[in-house]
Amino acid sequence: MTDEYGLEVVEKEKVQYIVVSIGNEQYGLDISYVDNIVRMCKITRVPKAPFHYIGIINLRGEVVPLMSLRRKMKLDDDEFTDLSRIIILKTEEMGLIGVVVDEVKEVIALSEDEIDENAKTQSPEKDNFISGIGKNEGELISILEISSIFDEVDNA
Amino acid sequence: MDVSQYLDIFIDETNGHIQELSDNIMLLEKEPENKDCVNEIFRAAHSLKGMAGTMGFKKMQHLTHDMENVFSEVRNDNIKVNSTLIDILFQCLDAIEAYLETVKATSGEGDEANEHLIKMLNDFLEGGDGSADAAPAESAASEETAEAEASGEGFEYENLKLDEDELEKIKKTESSGAKMYGFTVHIQKDCMLKAARAFLVYKAVEDFGDILIYNPSSEDIEDEKFDLTFNMIVVTESELQPMLDAISAVSEIEKVDAGEVTSATYTKPAEEKKEEETAPAPAEKSAEEKKETPAPAKAPAAKGGKNAPANKPVTARTVRVDIEKLDALMNQVSELIIAKNSLVSISDQDTSSDENQQTFHEQIEYLERITTTLHESVMKVRMVPIENTVAKFPRMIRDLSRKLNKPMELYMTGEDTELDRTVVDQIGDPLQHLLRNSADHGIEDPETRRAAGKPETGSITLNAFQEGNNVIIEVKDDGAGLDIEKIRAKAVERGLVTEEQAENLSKKEVIDFLFNPGFSMAKKVTDISGRGVGLDVVKSNIESLGGDVEVKSVFGQGTTFVVRLPLTLAIIQALMVEVRDEKYAIALGSIQNIENIPVSEIKYVQAEEVIHLRGMVIPLIRLDELLDSTPKEEEPESLTVVVVRKGDSYAGVVVDNLIGQQEIVIKSLGKCIDNNKIINGATILGDGEVALIIDVNAIF
Repeated sequence: MTDEYGLEVVEKEKVQYIVVSIGNEQYGLDISYVDNIVRMCKITRVPKAPFHYIGIINLRGEVVPLMSLRRKMKLDDDEFTDLSRIIILKTEEMGLIGVVVDEVKEVIALSEDEIDENAKTQSPEKDNFISGIGKNEGELISILEISSIFDEVDNA
Repeated sequence: MDVSQYLDIFIDETNGHIQELSDNIMLLEKEPENKDCVNEIFRAAHSLKGMAGTMGFKKMQHLTHDMENVFSEVRNDNIKVNSTLIDILFQCLDAIEAYLETVKATSGEGDEANEHLIKMLNDFLEGGDGSADAAPAESAASEETAEAEASGEGFEYENLKLDEDELEKIKKTESSGAKMYGFTVHIQKDCMLKAARAFLVYKAVEDFGDILIYNPSSEDIEDEKFDLTFNMIVVTESELQPMLDAISAVSEIEKVDAGEVTSATYTKPAEEKKEEETAPAPAEKSAEEKKETPAPAKAPAAKGGKNAPANKPVTARTVRVDIEKLDALMNQVSELIIAKNSLVSISDQDTSSDENQQTFHEQIEYLERITTTLHESVMKVRMVPIENTVAKFPRMIRDLSRKLNKPMELYMTGEDTELDRTVVDQIGDPLQHLLRNSADHGIEDPETRRAAGKPETGSITLNAFQEGNNVIIEVKDDGAGLDIEKIRAKAVERGLVTEEQAENLSKKEVIDFLFNPGFSMAKKVTDISGRGVGLDVVKSNIESLGGDVEVKSVFGQGTTFVVRLPLTLAIIQALMVEVRDEKYAIALGSIQNIENIPVSEIKYVQAEEVIHLRGMVIPLIRLDELLDSTPKEEEPESLTVVVVRKGDSYAGVVVDNLIGQQEIVIKSLGKCIDNNKIINGATILGDGEVALIIDVNAIF
């Protein structure tokens, strides 16, 4: 590959993440999985559903299940504020799924060497969902592993 | 040349041509001199050949080429059409269809050369009259059965490959002194619900003892992953003969091989078995000789069948849409845009004035009208005529008529009746079953018919028409009709009701016994009025489509099966109810009535709440408890009970409030919350809120 293309290659290696906050931590979601970000709307509870599913919502005529990352990661239960948003994720296998976050901050681009894949926290439950820790302007961002969020292994 | 992109078109068009050929050959049989018909056939065969050639399906091309040769001779009046020729042609059509199936599953045409068919065609061309061809035609038909027998040298059940666990089981049973029998059950070739038949056989056998070993495994049987035979080893105290009788009583069973087995049967050295297999008994030799294309004939067919589920089918599920329907859709969408634009312009103006309010409401009404018609048009796009499904039936009845030696005619009306694509796809099997039922059990033999003063040729009618939001399909025969008294006696005999109860049953209730699983099981095959054949399966198939089936019969004059299907699966009428502040929908079809029950009238049976309603004891189901709703602070004085029905059982569902009846669009909950049995979907209400749909069948 020539120098001429060198710049482009570096560009390609950068992955864009949407930075959200849950509690006092920041998480990064790979933007290629994100279909949409919507405001909180009326949630319909689904009886007997797995614990980490809060319910279902109406996303422009589609019924979309809504998951609580807080419940999945065994944090305190959600408190919905004006800043709370639903991020609609799109996957091949599961279709659309919404996840609730406390706040959507920004979109950043991180290259692979800006993400420390070995950094681990003390909590094994959380580690299951995190593929690495990214650093952006002094802030630490936990990169969420989208596929593990949808793992049907119920940790709750 | 890469032609894979044309595969879809090829499959679609070949299907069309095959159907055209089939229809015209049927016509030709009736009117052998009809020149137009021969020309049509010639054209269809020619295009079929051309297409197969373009796609590189050489074997298919070869077969159609030889068919075309025959047609060309027929057209030139060099050979006369007779029933032998028609039979050969139909076999060729079946072979082409088999090619097409292989193409669909694997994108290739497979290895089957169908040389015997080609030979038959050529013999016919040379022989001219085809009388000499009767024998090969026969042999082709018997080929498959002969093959099955040949491979089962010394009975299949004796040659089962057992693993150690199974051997251990057998040894253990043997040491306990119980007798074991091995069975090999052969199912008829044209049986459609093999798994159901196998299940009935198991049920019959279980009356006598326990089934020790299933081969193939019961899961495979359930999934219909077996050919025409299956084996089992049974531990029993009973004699062999009554068991054989019981198994043979299950319909569509061709024959049963059975005998006592011991652990020694299966511990024989493997070589010995092999020898037995390679040295066929002289009796089988004639069958062996008859086969002109022995091994390859069956192997590819079996291979194709097994490959199909593994390889993803290459064809997508498509709907052919009339361009007019699409135009209508387009028009409505443009109207929708106009309506939207006028709403936008109104919102720009000052909305407080009365005049603007007025136009605003008018526009909303306009919008409503457009969305309703738009909805209807989209539904129409999903609708396909049942024609494609029912078109194969005349051929089937013709074959049955010849096989059963009963002259009969199928009359069809309303083939253009339209149903949702998904329903049309699945209605074929149940209808086929009902038609076979009519042909097999309904229509009497010619002598009986003559004696009863009916025309010798029996008639079966298939009527389809729309009635409100339903499509009705009637399968009617002018045969013997149902003998109510016989069914009543049978029900008593089977212990379904006591004699006194039976006396009081209405005709309809008696007929309903036919839909009882396995009701026909104990009937003798010879019993002409034994019409319970697999009807339970038909009924459950149709019910899974949201429809129902009803029987009307006049003894001596015939029977009518009325199948009622919803126009579409996606939209249902539902009753909206409220539990606390949550809204739920219950399908109106399953609701019997709605009652207000004072709490004081609740009674207890085995610590369960029940109500006594017009002579029926109905269990109460508290929806709030079932759905984990927040508990109520105080019990009201009376409860709103929605009485729902599943088959013959009832349940009272307690709800807080009734909202009203509404047409709802069913949406899936998505895969991740799918483990929920009580909820079978969701719907979006007018205000954008999501309400869940209660699956009444799951709460019983």
